[in-house]
Amino acid sequence: MLTLTRRSLGALALAAGLAAGGAAPARAQAAGDIVLGGSIPMTGVFAFAGIGIHAGISDYVKIVNDAGGVHGRKLRYVYEDTAYKVDASVAAFNKIAAQEKPNLYYGDSTAFSKTINPELERLGSAIMAGASFATELNDPAKFPLQFMAGPDYTEMFGILLRYIANEKPNAKVAFVHSDTEFGRDPIATSARRAGELGLKVVETIVTPPGSVDVSTEVLKLRRAAPDYTIFHGYVLAPIPEFITQARQMGIASRWMGTFWSMDNSMVQQMGEMADGFMGVMPYRYYYDDEGQAPMLAKIRQMRPDYQSTAYMQGFLTAMLMTEAVKRTLDGGQELTGKNLKAALNTIRDFDTGGIIGVPISIPGNSIPVGRIYRADVQKKLMVPASDWITLE
Amino acid sequence: MRIASAKESYAADEALFDSAVQRRWFAALLAALVLFPFAADQYWAFLACLAAINVIAATGLNILTGYTGLVSLGQAAFMGVGAYTVALLENRLGTPFFVNLPLAGLAAAAAGTVFGLPSLRVKGLYLAIATIAASFILHFVFANWDSVTNGVRGITVPPATLAGIALDTPFKLYWVIMPVAVLMLLGAANLFRTRVGRAFIAIRDRDISAEVLGIPLLRWKLTSFALASFYAGVAGGLWAYFFRVVTPESFPLILSIFFLAAIIVGGMGTILGGILGAVFMTLVPEVLKLLVGAVAPVWPDAVVLLSPVRTVVFGALIVGFLIFEPQGLAEMWRRTRRAFHLWPFRT
Repeated sequence: MLTLTRRSLGALALAAGLAAGGAAPARAQAAGDIVLGGSIPMTGVFAFAGIGIHAGISDYVKIVNDAGGVHGRKLRYVYEDTAYKVDASVAAFNKIAAQEKPNLYYGDSTAFSKTINPELERLGSAIMAGASFATELNDPAKFPLQFMAGPDYTEMFGILLRYIANEKPNAKVAFVHSDTEFGRDPIATSARRAGELGLKVVETIVTPPGSVDVSTEVLKLRRAAPDYTIFHGYVLAPIPEFITQARQMGIASRWMGTFWSMDNSMVQQMGEMADGFMGVMPYRYYYDDEGQAPMLAKIRQMRPDYQSTAYMQGFLTAMLMTEAVKRTLDGGQELTGKNLKAALNTIRDFDTGGIIGVPISIPGNSIPVGRIYRADVQKKLMVPASDWITLE
Repeated sequence: MRIASAKESYAADEALFDSAVQRRWFAALLAALVLFPFAADQYWAFLACLAAINVIAATGLNILTGYTGLVSLGQAAFMGVGAYTVALLENRLGTPFFVNLPLAGLAAAAAGTVFGLPSLRVKGLYLAIATIAASFILHFVFANWDSVTNGVRGITVPPATLAGIALDTPFKLYWVIMPVAVLMLLGAANLFRTRVGRAFIAIRDRDISAEVLGIPLLRWKLTSFALASFYAGVAGGLWAYFFRVVTPESFPLILSIFFLAAIIVGGMGTILGGILGAVFMTLVPEVLKLLVGAVAPVWPDAVVLLSPVRTVVFGALIVGFLIFEPQGLAEMWRRTRRAFHLWPFRT
């Protein structure tokens, strides 16, 4: 009998532990706080961006709260590390949704944005943006409560192609992309778009994710002899290997990238090879002090060291979300996902304080604006190579 | 102290639970599983479902690797087959989940049987490499068979429905996932009371001797692959209903390694090992996150600074278990039980 009692005690302890864990009481929500939840990849392959995004969101939330909040209500940023794994991101979402009732949410990947969409609509109390610029998400009918703080990948290509068509009509273009959802995203549609602009897509090269040996691909590129080569679906590798080998073979292409391969510190890691590397960037760089940019000045004041483009992305996302909340409350409406999104879509010619160089509008789920920047190896900076390009 | 449990018949000797106390504990566990979702919020219900899905897949792998001795790194790919099967059946035929899930299992079993063929010639590390091929081939098929799998974009899965109710929250899905998990675990446990299970164990212990004893290796090795893949397929089907989007990137090779790690940490060749290992691997990262989160009120930057440390701690825990308890968590559990049985004497 004694044995049983002791076992029961053990079981009781276990059950109590389970209950304590299971029934973790929702943290008392401070009256009227507006919660911005986040599945942020602080570890894992996307940590380089996650840490920047986190800093950007935190800083903007601090700026808003220091200025008295939105309609007197404080913003509260609640986040979890996801290691860039979908199941961990969904777990974080469920946790934050159950315990904090967020009205705003930042997601870390395309897969997460797609996975959580039905739940987001079911909850109906929040809008979401995130690190994904997937073309698929830029569809207000399918993703009515989501948006992205920049152009989608197809629009990024659109901006690059328009620049190319202006610089060199009838140019030959090659696409090099990774064999991932991210890499394949804009390729098919952009090939058509290039045709419409009078450009010729002479080669499309697919590389397996994580591949670094690109010698056979470079040979293909040499045969195709493009004037411009656009990389997509990479952060850094294998872009430097490509450019190094291609230069050795005397390929005279210009090299271009999209948002995630355009951070200044990343590009400068390529060293001499970075010279002339170009790409599309929807935000201004940290160090850009041209003209009126009060927000950039504020960021430099808050953080004296260089902040990545991911930081700018997080910062602007938080800014647009806050603006949506402000407009919803201005209209005397309840903070529901639908109202927030409708308020977000009223943003016309909005001044981002210099984060984006032109006033922006968000008619749908994206902001189809960007500018071409070029790496200047002497200055170790990305410098503007075009004016701001807005797609209709 | 428990002195002994007398067995008076072969049936009693073979019984899954050999004493009334054990049966009562099992009933208590079932009752706890029934009550759990009412006590838990959405986050814990989510984790419980995720852990249950992982337990099913890990148990499948345990049948193959732990009991039959065939190392496989294809488990996640077979899960993918199950998930795609459910996604297709839901979208194209709209058949109910209780039809789709077994079909998902069967589809995965068929794939598993094909990829199990090399096991007739190769063993150990060689077989592991051969099964990695399954991962790559199936990933390629998922990513490129556009007309069926919708390519890299994947397929969105409508929620499972039961009597007109959409099972769209972890709380509702729990009532499908947990019973399926319990049933499949009971099935696996019972399997090793039959000829089939014993044939698997004989093959694991020495395949040549098993063949000499009259166990056809072709048949039973492939059966083992089929069964393991069936478990993976059902787990994948549940996964599809749970996450509602199936893409080629949902089932990477690393997930297969996760299952292998789960059964090694839990204890290969025991049903309990698969359960404990999968639960451990699923929940410990979350528990570590809770610990990091607990210091956040006093140290606001804790999540940023401690997150990488958390990953290291998780890795160190796995290494620690392997060194100090190579037989896995199941063995620790047994030792604890033994200590209680023999109390007040020491083992």
